[in-house]
Amino acid sequence: MDFINENLLTILILLPVFGALGVLAYQMFAGREDNLKWITFGITLVNFLISLLLIGEKAASSSGFQFEKSVPWITAINSNYHVGVDGLSLWLVILTTFIMPISVISTWHAVEKKPTAFYIFLLLLESAMIGVFVSLDLLVFYLFFEASLVPMFFLIGIWGGENRIYAAVKFFIFTALGSLLMLAAIISLYYVHASVSSVGGTFDYVAIMKTMELGHLSFSGPLAATGTLMFLAFALAFSIKVPLFPFHTWLPDAHTEAPTAGSVILAAVLLKMGTYGLMRFCFTLFPDQSREFAPFFIVLAIIGIIYGALVAMVQPDVKRLVAYSSVAHMGFVILGMFSFTEWGMQGAVYQMLNHGVSTGALFLLVGFIYERRHTRQISEFGGLANVMPIYATIFVITAMSSVGLPFLNGFVGEFLIMLGMWKSSILSVTTTTNWNYIATMLAGTGVIFAAVYLLWMIQRVFFGEVTNDKNKSLSDLSWREIGLIVPLMFLMVFMGVYPRPFLDRAKDAVTQIQTRVMHQAGGEVEHAEVVK
Amino acid sequence: MVENNLLSIIIFAPLLGALINWLIGGRLKDKPYGETFSGIVGCGSIAVSTVVAFYLAFAANGGALFIDKPILDHIWTWVQVGNFRADFALGMDRLSGIYALFVTFVGLLIHIFATGYMAGDKGFYRFFAYLNLFMFSMLTLVLADNFLLMFVGWEGVGLCSYLLIGYYIQLDEARRAAKKAFVMNRIGDWGVLMGIFLIFTLTGSISFYDKVVDGQQVQSVFTFVSTHLHADPFTWGAIFAGGLTSVGVLLFIGATGKSAQIPLLTWLPDAMAGPTPVSALIHAATMVTAGVYLVVRANAIYQFAPTAMWIIAVIGAATAIFAATIAIAQNDIKKVLAYSTVSQLGFMFLAAGVGAFVVAIFHVMTHAFFKALLFLGSGSVIHGMHHEQDMRKMGNLKKYMPITFFTMAAGWLAICGIPFFAGFFSKDEILYRTFAADNYFPQKPFPGEEILWTIATITAVLTAVYMTRMMIMTFWGKERFHDALPEADNAGDPASAEETAFATGAAHDDTSHGQEEHHGLPHDFKPHESPWSMTVPLIVLGILSAFGGLVGVPYAMSSILSTGEVNVFEHVLEPVVAKEAGESGHGAPAAESKAASHEPSAETARSSPGASSEEHSPEVVAKERGLAGLSTLLAVMGIGIGFFLFWKTPLRKMPQILADKWRLDEFYNGYIVDPITKLSTEGLWKGFDLGFIDGIVNGIGHFVSQVGNFSRYLQVGFVRSYAAVIILGALAVLGYFIYYGMKLVG
Repeated sequence: MDFINENLLTILILLPVFGALGVLAYQMFAGREDNLKWITFGITLVNFLISLLLIGEKAASSSGFQFEKSVPWITAINSNYHVGVDGLSLWLVILTTFIMPISVISTWHAVEKKPTAFYIFLLLLESAMIGVFVSLDLLVFYLFFEASLVPMFFLIGIWGGENRIYAAVKFFIFTALGSLLMLAAIISLYYVHASVSSVGGTFDYVAIMKTMELGHLSFSGPLAATGTLMFLAFALAFSIKVPLFPFHTWLPDAHTEAPTAGSVILAAVLLKMGTYGLMRFCFTLFPDQSREFAPFFIVLAIIGIIYGALVAMVQPDVKRLVAYSSVAHMGFVILGMFSFTEWGMQGAVYQMLNHGVSTGALFLLVGFIYERRHTRQISEFGGLANVMPIYATIFVITAMSSVGLPFLNGFVGEFLIMLGMWKSSILSVTTTTNWNYIATMLAGTGVIFAAVYLLWMIQRVFFGEVTNDKNKSLSDLSWREIGLIVPLMFLMVFMGVYPRPFLDRAKDAVTQIQTRVMHQAGGEVEHAEVVK
Repeated sequence: MVENNLLSIIIFAPLLGALINWLIGGRLKDKPYGETFSGIVGCGSIAVSTVVAFYLAFAANGGALFIDKPILDHIWTWVQVGNFRADFALGMDRLSGIYALFVTFVGLLIHIFATGYMAGDKGFYRFFAYLNLFMFSMLTLVLADNFLLMFVGWEGVGLCSYLLIGYYIQLDEARRAAKKAFVMNRIGDWGVLMGIFLIFTLTGSISFYDKVVDGQQVQSVFTFVSTHLHADPFTWGAIFAGGLTSVGVLLFIGATGKSAQIPLLTWLPDAMAGPTPVSALIHAATMVTAGVYLVVRANAIYQFAPTAMWIIAVIGAATAIFAATIAIAQNDIKKVLAYSTVSQLGFMFLAAGVGAFVVAIFHVMTHAFFKALLFLGSGSVIHGMHHEQDMRKMGNLKKYMPITFFTMAAGWLAICGIPFFAGFFSKDEILYRTFAADNYFPQKPFPGEEILWTIATITAVLTAVYMTRMMIMTFWGKERFHDALPEADNAGDPASAEETAFATGAAHDDTSHGQEEHHGLPHDFKPHESPWSMTVPLIVLGILSAFGGLVGVPYAMSSILSTGEVNVFEHVLEPVVAKEAGESGHGAPAAESKAASHEPSAETARSSPGASSEEHSPEVVAKERGLAGLSTLLAVMGIGIGFFLFWKTPLRKMPQILADKWRLDEFYNGYIVDPITKLSTEGLWKGFDLGFIDGIVNGIGHFVSQVGNFSRYLQVGFVRSYAAVIILGALAVLGYFIYYGMKLVG
């Protein structure tokens, strides 16, 4: 038990890798591919169960991280395999392990070509995603960040829809561009650290934080310009991943072309790598720059919220509609983070989880109907509630959660984010106008539009008479499909009604980051909302 | 602090009912006892709520209506981040007590009615599940002990309204109307949400009551406002100043959505596409009055926000007359009642706007009685007419449906304001308080009170006219069951959706209904009186419409007969309304706690003897009596006009612009909805996303392929060339950083 506890994160990362090897071995030695889905499902399920051990409280180390483990990796450049979780990454790791078994079952019948490769990529993707969330060494983080691209690239490119090559390449280029710049910034950070610290250069996040806390390193004085460049490199990489307007155009293509499992993982987890990175690295390493550029991000977030919603409204393709709604929802997350208030940042963390659950569920549901009809055009449907009542009911509930109906999960996150923005002082540093009110009011309109595009889609897809003969004989959801959507439904209700376990657990990490952002640089920034 | 855990039963009984009907009722629906089961679960759960509500309001802990402190029930802490906390906790004070009473009681009657009305419907269990879910949301809204939980109920009723309007999902009109209702409500909800943010910013709390939770003292928003804040000036600028006036306006935006006031009113008439019991419960008696509840609940804020109050009064009066003019030209019986509801809601807001908060609630209650009655009556008529809603095809129904006729007549007289019927007292008091707005308005004088009073008076006459027209077309005159309609059929009109649903047999299994030709009733067709499950609720509501107003007889009238104060209603609600500064010489305005500290006896019900004597001075009483006489006269006049115009010619052609509802829908579609859709499609999506951003992306690739030497190689595809240039660029930047870093280290 001690062994497991000490190496919990490593086990979570490695188990899927070994699982992938196992899948390969099975296929090679048994020569069959029919049980692969069971094996993969088993591995991901076990990984999920193990990840639940993370929830159990364990005394945090001085760095604020739990389940920490640090092993020298490349000693020449002082890079360590350093992992650990705090309240911020904890839930994202669990979200990842939770979504994986569901994605595996979602492709029960859909994968026809090369199933072995498909499941191997899924498993490798899981490792990479968990790695991203737990890495505390920037170089290791970068490797995982890049590594997550590759399986997804192939998932889209091989098992995607008609336009998959274009989508996959677009996805890869957009994200690779950003991460290359980030690599530059990480290397630069190494040298900067070497120039100020007796320890020399390091990639270790905790070590860098320590140097900063000791006052040896700061990007506010003479290094401000360097810091700004590095901040922008980091921020660009993460913004593309989120994706923040105007870097979002890869998302609808990637989502639409990806197979269901790919879309679900993309929406639920991959996008969170961007928001996670901003909060973990940009905010703490470059607090001054984060504050300085906050208005810029807030404006882009608000544009994204409204823009995403308006464009979602007129999409003829259901999946594309959900993809654009993701742009709007992720805009909310960015908005909350850059409010730099406890409400906004907690709300942002919560909204990451909510978006994972709700949008993941929406993509699953779209996948169900796609498997039946091999089309996603809204105009092809109509009156589905008559032939698929269970499906219709679940879809409406999920849509309501996405719309942000109270007592379903979306509401709590959006409310806290908007409250945080409303109370934020970040836009009022140099002016007396309450721009924070105006920002919140504009973002709030996104909530109205969300109702418009989802209900309009529901109206056209589910209500009315069945007009298309092809839809008359559609079968309602099978037990397998119900079984895999029910855990998500349960979470939607539970997270809406009782958010406290999630929020309380995330609280310390979030307030730590918030305090860092708002109190760096000799407290020159007047901070209105200090939380006890 | 008075606590009573029974309170949660009021809301959870309907929720349980909804779940049982959803999960079990659905499985039993094809059994012979399926409907009985769903009906019993549906009505039974509401009956439980009703009993508990009455018990708590009158008996437990001294009765919520009589004690000074609210009865509280903390269930769990919902959201707690920083110093923001929102509990899932309920509270019943005098205001929410009265609301809970009539919501549960009228709700119960309508549930019983629905068991008769919906008999034979395929989705019987689903209908009752939705209806119970609605009751859960509505009671949560009313009994919530903080703004955020109230907002939960607020959105919840919106959802249930959406589900129930769209109940006949096969019908285009129904689903369109459902979406419209939800979206328009959402626009209003935006205001409430922003209002809550601002309230929290100004007061640091969102709780309605002072209480202690988990050892923490939680202060009520209203106590804070009354003791720490000051009244805003009466200026336009106050709206945007971010103070209490802004709060007031934001909350009122929410109220216009939920309560169908200008400009967000067009969803309510369309909502008539839902089954008639839904119209009665949600779109007449309970949900649509939530806006009034919100304003009255926040009266401590509004007392300090004169601009907001003035806006409320003006919007209320404008909506009242606007809707009344439309009601006069409608031929669909439910449409007449729908516009009438909008108009009556306008009256309620007018009352709240001139500071007569108690009167507003009084009118909410009497309106719940008579409008529920009128809607259920119309449902009975529609049922008896085999789902015909067009009044032009009715006539002389009193012969066939005597119970429906007599009960509806009570509702008719009540809404017209004939003395001693329920509507008389409440409407009369609204007119009087508008007339005398100066005396009560915190910021004297109240500009335009004469105009508002004139509008309200004209509306009162119009109300009598259109209601009389409706009664004549439906119950009197000659039978027109087989007449062809004089003009193009009103198909496509949302309100006729329900009738179409039945006509096409889409919603009905009962072949005796389903297979009948819609516009040709059989030759031997005779309307029939409805079964007891429908007539009994009608009779009960008829009695309430006739006598229910007696709980709130104003002093000016009761004093004719006796010298004592018999306005029980006002007496009960008085402590809920914070007394405004200055009226009775209080330095700081007395909040609930202060006003409530008085012994709840008749003599000291008034918060101060000064106010009492001023209100009951002989001149004031004389003026009020005079106006009461006038409004009686107006009601009689309106009925007279109605008979004069429509008795001989019930099908008299009405002005087209009124029949077309002033073309407001066309305006919204043409100038708001269409441009946004077009902008999104052509401008944002195809223009910006596909054209501009992807254009740049592709364009760069194209540019490179033109310039570069290896154009042959790159012309394979622009995406790849784009990849090349980006990676080269990134590598350049990378190189720069490394070089720079090296230099830095030395």
